[in-house]
Amino acid sequence: MKTHATQWPGLRALLQCAPLWWGTLAALAAEPAGSTDPGATFFMGRVQYSKNDGNDCGTVGEELLRLVSRASTLKVQRERRLKLTDPELFETPFLFMNGHNDFVLSPTELDALRTYLAHGGFLFVSGCCTNPSFPRAARREFARVFSGETVQQLAYDHPIYRSFYRVTEVRSLHENRNIYLEGLAFHGNLVMVLCEDGLCCAFSMENRCNAGKGVSPEDGQRLALNIAVYALTH
Amino acid sequence: MPPETFTFDLPGAWRIGAPLVLLVFGSSAWGYLRRGLSRPRALGLATLRAAAVGLLVCLAARPTWVSRAPPSADQRTVMLLVDQSESMSVETDGRTSYRQALDFARVHLLPALAAAGWRVQGFGFAADAQPADGAQMNAAAPKGRRTNLGRAIHRALSHDATPPWAVLALTDGIVNESADNARGLSALVENRVPFIGLAVGSDTGARTLSLRQVTAPNVVATNAQFRVSAELEANSDDELPPFDLVLMRDGKPVQQKTVRPGPGARLWLESFTLHEPAEGTHQYLVQFLPPAAPGLKCASTTGTAVVQVASDKELRVLYVQGALTWDYKFATLAVQDDPIVKLTGLTRTSKQSIFRQNVETAGELQYGFPTTLAEMAPFRVVVLASLAPADLSPAQQDLLARFCGDLGGGVLMIGGRATFNAAWQDSRLEHVLPVTFTSLEGVTGLDRPFRLEPTAAALAHPLFALAHDQSPREVWARLPTLTHYGRVEAAKPGAQVWAQHPDDVGPNGPRILMASQRFGAGRSAVLCVENLWRWRLAREADPAQFDRFWRQLLRFLGEPSRQDVVIQLADQELRPQQDVQLTLERRPQASDLPGAKLGVHLRVEDERQQTVTEQALELPIGQPVNVSFRPPQPGLFAVWVQDPDRMPLASRTVEIREVNVEFQETRRTLETLRQWASLSGGLACKVEECTDPAELVDQVRARVEELRRFNPTRRPAGMNGWILAAILTALAVEWVLRKKWLLT
Repeated sequence: MKTHATQWPGLRALLQCAPLWWGTLAALAAEPAGSTDPGATFFMGRVQYSKNDGNDCGTVGEELLRLVSRASTLKVQRERRLKLTDPELFETPFLFMNGHNDFVLSPTELDALRTYLAHGGFLFVSGCCTNPSFPRAARREFARVFSGETVQQLAYDHPIYRSFYRVTEVRSLHENRNIYLEGLAFHGNLVMVLCEDGLCCAFSMENRCNAGKGVSPEDGQRLALNIAVYALTH
Repeated sequence: MPPETFTFDLPGAWRIGAPLVLLVFGSSAWGYLRRGLSRPRALGLATLRAAAVGLLVCLAARPTWVSRAPPSADQRTVMLLVDQSESMSVETDGRTSYRQALDFARVHLLPALAAAGWRVQGFGFAADAQPADGAQMNAAAPKGRRTNLGRAIHRALSHDATPPWAVLALTDGIVNESADNARGLSALVENRVPFIGLAVGSDTGARTLSLRQVTAPNVVATNAQFRVSAELEANSDDELPPFDLVLMRDGKPVQQKTVRPGPGARLWLESFTLHEPAEGTHQYLVQFLPPAAPGLKCASTTGTAVVQVASDKELRVLYVQGALTWDYKFATLAVQDDPIVKLTGLTRTSKQSIFRQNVETAGELQYGFPTTLAEMAPFRVVVLASLAPADLSPAQQDLLARFCGDLGGGVLMIGGRATFNAAWQDSRLEHVLPVTFTSLEGVTGLDRPFRLEPTAAALAHPLFALAHDQSPREVWARLPTLTHYGRVEAAKPGAQVWAQHPDDVGPNGPRILMASQRFGAGRSAVLCVENLWRWRLAREADPAQFDRFWRQLLRFLGEPSRQDVVIQLADQELRPQQDVQLTLERRPQASDLPGAKLGVHLRVEDERQQTVTEQALELPIGQPVNVSFRPPQPGLFAVWVQDPDRMPLASRTVEIREVNVEFQETRRTLETLRQWASLSGGLACKVEECTDPAELVDQVRARVEELRRFNPTRRPAGMNGWILAAILTALAVEWVLRKKWLLT
């Protein structure tokens, strides 16, 4: 059965994310989670890609950094807003990318991303608000990065589920199914991780934009931290 | 000429002996009188007995004839030694040094000696000395393979019963045998004969080009890059022509390069880079083809090294971090495809928790940093990253020192300003590392992008070779820039500085960014760079170069502990029929008991695997033991140290070469002649300085007279058959008369 909202996915996303605009304004006024400490060791870049300006779920990057700094002794750096074509991309070993909608990466972006991932960079991709357009586009676009490599589901025996917290199963809040992370490998190394079920919403904005759907806030925080630690150790 | 004088060397003997003689005379006379002899007879017998005792006392006082003047010229000769070793074949202005010596003798020296009325006995010498007249000298050629001046002097002095007035030597002073020096010097001093050294040849020497030695690692892992290096030495005022250097592997040529030696005196390395895909032992011979250059002398043109290619056993690395860092992730990427290097991570993630990765058992490192040597023993390298001084207790630092110094492990400290902290000063860890820490850390936040600038030593070292097809200098000049670095004060004496900051100059010169040193049985290093991962992530970087650097660095640090017993070769001349001195040292193990000794067998084989020597030894833990063997002929000799079950613990190859030592140094050495002259009261000078031979002869005469004035000739008196006969006669007559007179 199709609902009215699913016939107008853009409108639905707009309505669901309305509280985020308030959250974004509040976050801009709040003290940033990161710092410009020259001794910081955790660098995160928030990716602006295709036509996306990197502001979907505006404070999610800061929330991720705060999560990482709370759970470990890592000194975190303030998030950077980066285009895939920026030279600073190659000074930022951890990237975060999210969105709601379909997108297409330009050849220049693909080329930069290919080099970045081949050189050891890591990309954490999350669809916002359980919107299927973004993950569908992500699978399609990231399959173009490395010849012969596609985005694959990561079973629960993958080390990423136990790199910090031991996660044995992630249940969807609104569907009777398990949620799996997906990943893209290069030479056997996991270089990109995708979660389509609103993972970024689960650990940020008090899950207001995705309440009752997809990943639970507890699982979301654990998965996010596991992904960050995995990126730091593999 | 003043006459000889008579004296006693021990006149004190008379002070004791004279009363003794009187006592013998008195007691004998009194005894004879009591036994009824008449006074003349008693006094006669007592006199005979006292005379015998008196003669004995006289001998005890060592009677000596002393002469303070030299004997006449017709009694003595002058020994003239002419060097016939091969170094005398070096030409100066179209004339060999040997010919220069003969011309000087014939034209100047011999006429002057003859005019002074001195007889001359000639000797040609090289490794040994033989009498030779003028015709024999002229017919001879300088072909001796060694120069033994000490033996020549001894031969000259022992040639006649009467020592000569002086020993004159026409030589270039290049001496390469010293075994007989003590004998020669003793003979000169005892006979008070001055040594007169007359140096021929040139001060610049001949054009030479020699291959001093070939070096290569004893053991390498399969597919690991390594270098076979030839140490070349050249001496020439003008530029020598290029020549070809050939590398032979097991007798077959594999690489060749053209070398341009350049002008002047130089000692340099030429290297061939190799890697072997399969296990085995290979013999690498480097040979150069001497260029066509007039007068060029070559002491040696070949050298050999043996390399054992083996599948290395696992090299476990413990990477200890104060907090998670990206450097660990990128180091993991660098070694992930390496079949040997296994990285184990130990990270403090919060005050109460640690993160372990790639541990081999559930219990390994369960409580964090190892607390015993046994826990550290499985690892061959420990990397300390982003650690603050508070992160390592003194006990843990002490454990690291023992791991490096006793177990032969490698220790690397990597990080930036927070890691290379002044709080480490005077710590046990600072004692281990190759640098001292500074309290002057400079202004923070001013680091600008920089590149690691390898030193000349680094560019010549395999550790810094990152590409097969490009020179290290080009590769390193193109590496991405880095941003932050740690400050250290200075390198310790004996430390090797590998990389410096290109711009930042500290109080002790350019800031050190990388250095290493041997510490006990192991090796320690610092890499004062924060966020080294930027190198690999950079867009223009080649990740393979970053990976290779990490792999080579970890192997470099883990290498010293490869063998349980270290075989060291003392600094010595290696040649056939001469003992080769070795030092064996057993590395300590965590399981060693105090005072334990390891029984081993030492076996030396020649190239045909024939045993040259074999002996059983006991090696105390950590204490060197000296051993030696005598190679019968040139060639490669394999030295094996085996355990009691004949399982090899260590091996090393020693190359014994026939090197023409006569051409290792071709500049005349006046200093050698001066030393002989100084010790014997003679003189030494260059032949071109002897413009007036008569004056030279006068100087020699003055030296002889001076020696004899201050050291008069002493000839023992009394120790002969006549004195002995007189003593026996006196005693015999006394006995006969006593028997006759007392019986009648």
